[in-house]
Amino acid sequence: MTSHDLQLGGDNQAGDVAPRVARVGFALGVIGIAAAAGLGYLTDGEDGPTHFWFAYLVGFAFILTIGMGAMFFTIIQHLVNAHWSVTVRRLAEVTMRTVPMIGLLGLPLLYPLLSHDVTIWQWADAGHHEVAADHGAAAGGALSDEALAHKLESELHHSLVEHKGGFLNTNFFIARLAGYFLIWWLLARFFFRKSVEQDTADGIEPTLRMKKFSAPSVILFALTLSFAAFDLLMSLDETWFSTIFGVYIFSGAFLSSVAWLVVMAKYLQRKGRLTEVIHDEHYHDLGKWMFAFTFFWGYIAFSQFMLIWYANIPEETHFYAWRILPAWHGWSWFLLIGHFIIPFGGLLSRHVKRNTNVLLGWAVYILCMHWIDLYWIVMPNFHRGEVDFANPFSAVEVLLAIGMFGILVGLVAKRLGGQSLVALRDPLLGKSLGFKNL
Amino acid sequence: MADSSAITHEAVFPPALVQGKNDFHSITETVCGVLEAPKPPKSWYMIFGTAVALLGVLGAMIVYLIATGVGVWGNNQPVAWGWPIVNFVFWVGIGHAGTLISAVLFLFRQDWRTGINRFSEAMTIFAVICAGMFPAIHVGRIWVIWWVFPLPNQMSMWPNFRSPLLWDVFAVSTYFSVSLLFWYMGLVPDLATVRDRAKTKARRFWYGLFALGWNGSNRQWHRYERAYLLLAALATPLVLSVHSVVSFDFATSQLPGWHTTIFPPYFVAGAIFSGFAMVLTLSIPARKIFGLEELITMRHIDNMCKVIMATGMMVGYAYAMEFFMAWYSGNEYEGFAFINRAFGPYWWAYWIMVSCNVLSPQIFWSKKMRNNLTVVFIMSIFVNIGMWFERFVITVTSLNRDFLPSSWHYFSPTWVDVLTLLGSFGLFFTFFMLFCRYLPQVAISEVKNVLPEAHPHHEDH
Repeated sequence: MTSHDLQLGGDNQAGDVAPRVARVGFALGVIGIAAAAGLGYLTDGEDGPTHFWFAYLVGFAFILTIGMGAMFFTIIQHLVNAHWSVTVRRLAEVTMRTVPMIGLLGLPLLYPLLSHDVTIWQWADAGHHEVAADHGAAAGGALSDEALAHKLESELHHSLVEHKGGFLNTNFFIARLAGYFLIWWLLARFFFRKSVEQDTADGIEPTLRMKKFSAPSVILFALTLSFAAFDLLMSLDETWFSTIFGVYIFSGAFLSSVAWLVVMAKYLQRKGRLTEVIHDEHYHDLGKWMFAFTFFWGYIAFSQFMLIWYANIPEETHFYAWRILPAWHGWSWFLLIGHFIIPFGGLLSRHVKRNTNVLLGWAVYILCMHWIDLYWIVMPNFHRGEVDFANPFSAVEVLLAIGMFGILVGLVAKRLGGQSLVALRDPLLGKSLGFKNL
Repeated sequence: MADSSAITHEAVFPPALVQGKNDFHSITETVCGVLEAPKPPKSWYMIFGTAVALLGVLGAMIVYLIATGVGVWGNNQPVAWGWPIVNFVFWVGIGHAGTLISAVLFLFRQDWRTGINRFSEAMTIFAVICAGMFPAIHVGRIWVIWWVFPLPNQMSMWPNFRSPLLWDVFAVSTYFSVSLLFWYMGLVPDLATVRDRAKTKARRFWYGLFALGWNGSNRQWHRYERAYLLLAALATPLVLSVHSVVSFDFATSQLPGWHTTIFPPYFVAGAIFSGFAMVLTLSIPARKIFGLEELITMRHIDNMCKVIMATGMMVGYAYAMEFFMAWYSGNEYEGFAFINRAFGPYWWAYWIMVSCNVLSPQIFWSKKMRNNLTVVFIMSIFVNIGMWFERFVITVTSLNRDFLPSSWHYFSPTWVDVLTLLGSFGLFFTFFMLFCRYLPQVAISEVKNVLPEAHPHHEDH
């Protein structure tokens, strides 16, 4: 049976919801980012601009990972021929389709990358800092033990950065990121177009095409996402490295995107859309994914932490060493408890996953925790190595988080109106509508 | 729709899980027929005979080892961990597919698992037995093997709780007990079926004893299904934990080539990869010998090939990340360890590993190859070889050139090493052939569940 003759009940077009939400989203975005920039540049003192750009990167990574998680969600459903997810897949596809536009939001990051006034990727500015270090050493005259240790450390640091220069240099960095976004744009466009094409197709040709390309696409996805994580986030700490880091970012990306799908579905249903299409069974399964990836995130985070802690090699441990200093101590515990233990307990029950209002609460919670995770990865690099090493948390990052999220909402809403909210005539739509959890 | 060929259409609407003209009764007949036949097929005797002979070899090697000492193996400084640990990790890895298929695929509602889950769970249990044997005989003084367990004793002597090797004792024994429980619970309704069909007193007694008085009542099924779901949920984290803890044995150290953060998920992917390869190696001949082709169909084989391809590429991803980070980290020892792996004295082992694990599964992009049983069978053996070599590469190449160049030496196994590994296959196949002969190889009740007539709405389609 195909889904041709399937009569879907309810309203499955975004209609007037889309432009209204888009307006609100973009307004929030513009106000949030402008206010954060104002705060950062005008009132936050000398470090304000740097603070702003670090926070900008957190916000950028936040919405990019949600988009990328949605891309993985879309591709994997075709790869494994899943049927349960057909009714919610369009929401993921729309989210995925915003990744190229999110890429445009990354362009301002060229400023801290290239400028000497503001530095967030220190390797990009290695020459500049080298002078300062030498100057400091020379001014001391005869070297004390402490100064000697400092000098040796700075020399080691310099040689490491030089070693990585073939990879971590601004030109190659920009070329790589352009490459990732080009690949993501092609993937997003292909899977979005084919899916929309299926809405009106007579046969199942578009679905078969998507299935065909899903396997190579997953490979491209895995490699590009991992290296983008290394480039954008891991290289903030230019001497640190961890082979699992790509998987770590992936786990958070997928988790947050499933949470985002719950938020989207609930919102649209409250506005009277998709009411006959998405039901408890789909929420239950989305809830299971949230639970599973809460656990998976915990597993990956634990693997990374435990192995570095246990082997205790200074070139790796400094990542965690900074994060257990008093300035970040509380945040690290908060991440462990808030990102893993609390949602693990909270999402365990079947009743929670089937009570869609409670599930919505958890989805929002998980999105917040995902932002905190990224903040915890990025922000200790601001002020690192300084005497007054501190957590700069202030209104700047809150405004940026709201602003970036507003932009994501706006971009998604803008895409929502162009087509049906559900993948019509998908060959497995009938199965998706009718399935039941055991 | 005539233009889109059957193959492409199958990509969305896969063929039925049970082929041929089968109904509830014929499935029972097919599966029970194997263990009710007066005599097993000739090939069963041949394989069983070979396996028992190899088991004898294993016994002889263990006696020789215990009587003489661990020096009969090639292990020496700096390669203090030689083949025994390689074999241990190899067998634990094989033992991974069973629980993945029975628990994780159950949670993912992958109905096709019903044809192969009994089989692979049995394989899991036997593989873990083989694995557990290696550390046990490696301790040298096997008469004090109980020291590995934290038992109160008058010497106040305790194992080192900070050592991943001890965590391994817990991880593997937990995995073993839960897998055994899961397997046995699934067997209960089928054992009752065999009991009810039994024609001799002995059969009725023994199958009846282990069927625990199962009578197939509604209430029993209700509880059974609850327990199954709970056990599946409990076993799922174990799929991750066992091989993660095994990877900690290596990764918590400071040895270049061993210490890297991706080890836990990388080991898990590799274990699933090798486990599925072993399921294929066993099921391709078994379905033919015992006439189970309509229950373990080409669709099952096709799916397993795809899982092998996916996990093989995950392993390839980990190899690539390790290599990249060895350079990126700027740590010269890490860099050396990896150059040494690929181009040092054990280059051949490294390239066997890469070609068997990453390159050769690429053949499965072609559906034609996935449907060619000869190709699939040969490939599954390749993967088994590749995964053994992976553990060899990790263990031996990292150890044989350590920080002290004066102690570098080329590790070679002794004949005892080789015969012990061969003998462990004897142990594995002895158990497995006994299982094939005396227990239902396919989960009868579960396969019946995926027949179209078991579905209340099947006539709507």
